[in-house]
Amino acid sequence: MEYVNPEGLRLDGRRPMEMRQLRAEIGVVSRADGSASFEMGNTKVIAAVYGPREVQNRSQQMNDQALVRCEYSMANFSTGDRRRKTKGDRTGGGKRTVIPALNCSYLVVQKMEGIQSTNGYWMDKKTYSIGVGFSGRSTEISLVIRQTMEACILTHLMPRSQIDIYVQVLQADGGTRSACINAATLALADAGIPMRDLVTSCSAGYLNSTPLLDLNYLEDSAGGADVTVGILPKLDKVTLLQMDAKLPMDIFENVMQLAVEGCKAVESHIREILLENAQTLVIRQGYGS
Amino acid sequence: MEGLSVGERNFIKGGIAQDLRNDGRKRLTYRPIYVETGVIPQANGSAKVKLGATDVIASVKAELGKPTLSHPDQGKVFIYVECSPTAEPSFEGRGGEELSTELSTALERSLLGGKSGAGAGIDPASLLIKEGKVCWDLYVDCLVISSDGNLLDALGAAIKAALSNTGIPRVQFREAASSDEHADVDVSDEEFLQFDTSGVPVIVTLTKVGRHYIVDATSEEESLMSSAVSISVNRRGLICGLTKRGGAGLDPSVILDMISVAKHVSEQLINKLDSEIEAAERANEEEP
Repeated sequence: MEYVNPEGLRLDGRRPMEMRQLRAEIGVVSRADGSASFEMGNTKVIAAVYGPREVQNRSQQMNDQALVRCEYSMANFSTGDRRRKTKGDRTGGGKRTVIPALNCSYLVVQKMEGIQSTNGYWMDKKTYSIGVGFSGRSTEISLVIRQTMEACILTHLMPRSQIDIYVQVLQADGGTRSACINAATLALADAGIPMRDLVTSCSAGYLNSTPLLDLNYLEDSAGGADVTVGILPKLDKVTLLQMDAKLPMDIFENVMQLAVEGCKAVESHIREILLENAQTLVIRQGYGS
Repeated sequence: MEGLSVGERNFIKGGIAQDLRNDGRKRLTYRPIYVETGVIPQANGSAKVKLGATDVIASVKAELGKPTLSHPDQGKVFIYVECSPTAEPSFEGRGGEELSTELSTALERSLLGGKSGAGAGIDPASLLIKEGKVCWDLYVDCLVISSDGNLLDALGAAIKAALSNTGIPRVQFREAASSDEHADVDVSDEEFLQFDTSGVPVIVTLTKVGRHYIVDATSEEESLMSSAVSISVNRRGLICGLTKRGGAGLDPSVILDMISVAKHVSEQLINKLDSEIEAAERANEEEP
């Protein structure tokens, strides 16, 4: 499979170092304390933040810092093929339907790691390779997001309180982890929760001996390496680093550097959105010109 | 919503008694309804409906399936509701499951008609491709993103809008040449069929607070309700389904009264919703 054609274009027409279109919106869930939606191409997630508020479960209360909790969930319709969530039955007859709206030449990944004909080809490949159900995967992502966000929230300023972050995937087309972290950052900022920095995340991979920025689902399931990085851009620190498959050392360095560049691009976009939001708030309060 | 003080409760109740609610509405006025269609590109049809701070998404996905033995001449429609924890922290984990099931059953009862398929909003016979062999299975998945009361009406409206937005690929069925079970189904990716959604009912929920009943209750008002009746009414003014919730009993004459009010309110709601759906579809077409 050719992921980068001789002209240097990827399957969706991007250049290797090009990100998908970023779109973000603040305040999509009006009843939450803070909320945001974040889109990276066809991946779309919503994050809502509740808190800081009283700890619901007293035994989890901490006297020196805030309790940060996170839950990740995927909507039934978020993947290309509908999956039946109720039972662990994902080995039925592999049915293929072309997604009409995207009219793309998405190939169906039918067999991976010995698990046969799985419905749904938009899911991240990790689901198959670990071979556990969705609960396992979403628990892992919840944990990753929680740890990443906890690292940037100034938890010691809010002792004996609780902050809940809920992320909901509406469309999954690769890079949901990164999109969730970016959405969570925006939602936390919208909720006015004190943070060290804006954590941003982006993935990069390596296919056809080319480092590729911001993998979509198809590239993600190609079997190459997938490096997901989360950084604190101002402090220039890495808070999240995950990779599967294998890469030579020197190439890994390049790929990771590319992902870090991606994170910085996301950061400037997020700052723009926040600034815009702040300006509209000022105008709404009547302080603007 | 918990934690309303006695004063707040009395204020809300008093407002309802005087036909002036907290947000300035009358007892039988809906909040402004806002519809956006085609929000989920990977589905066959989708819509997002906002009703005040209540925000829901419905998506319709069509898959080829086999008709049931008892109804070989009908396709199938399934409705599932998920309550995202973004709407309410208490929906976390399995917390939203009870509400999800309650809403899915209420929606199925209101929109899908009886077991025979009579009174269904979408005629199940129209989903048939080949009797006893192939039919379309419609999976209607709903997601509650933000909840401020009256979820059922919002979900009903979202499903109606999503169905209007749905295009089902035209299918050619070719009989198998030999006896080996594999008949050929040719799914077109260019030609799409639209549903006739004029028969899809809308759901009007009347919530009883004190001695009066109101439509489109916010979650604050819902926390004061004694009981609620959800009535689904179609364009012709026929009652397609009815669900009563809440603990308190209702006088039969009050229920009959509620039904006639719901029928009256539904006319306005259907017209409003239809024009919103049309506007949303037009906005979609204008966008490249």
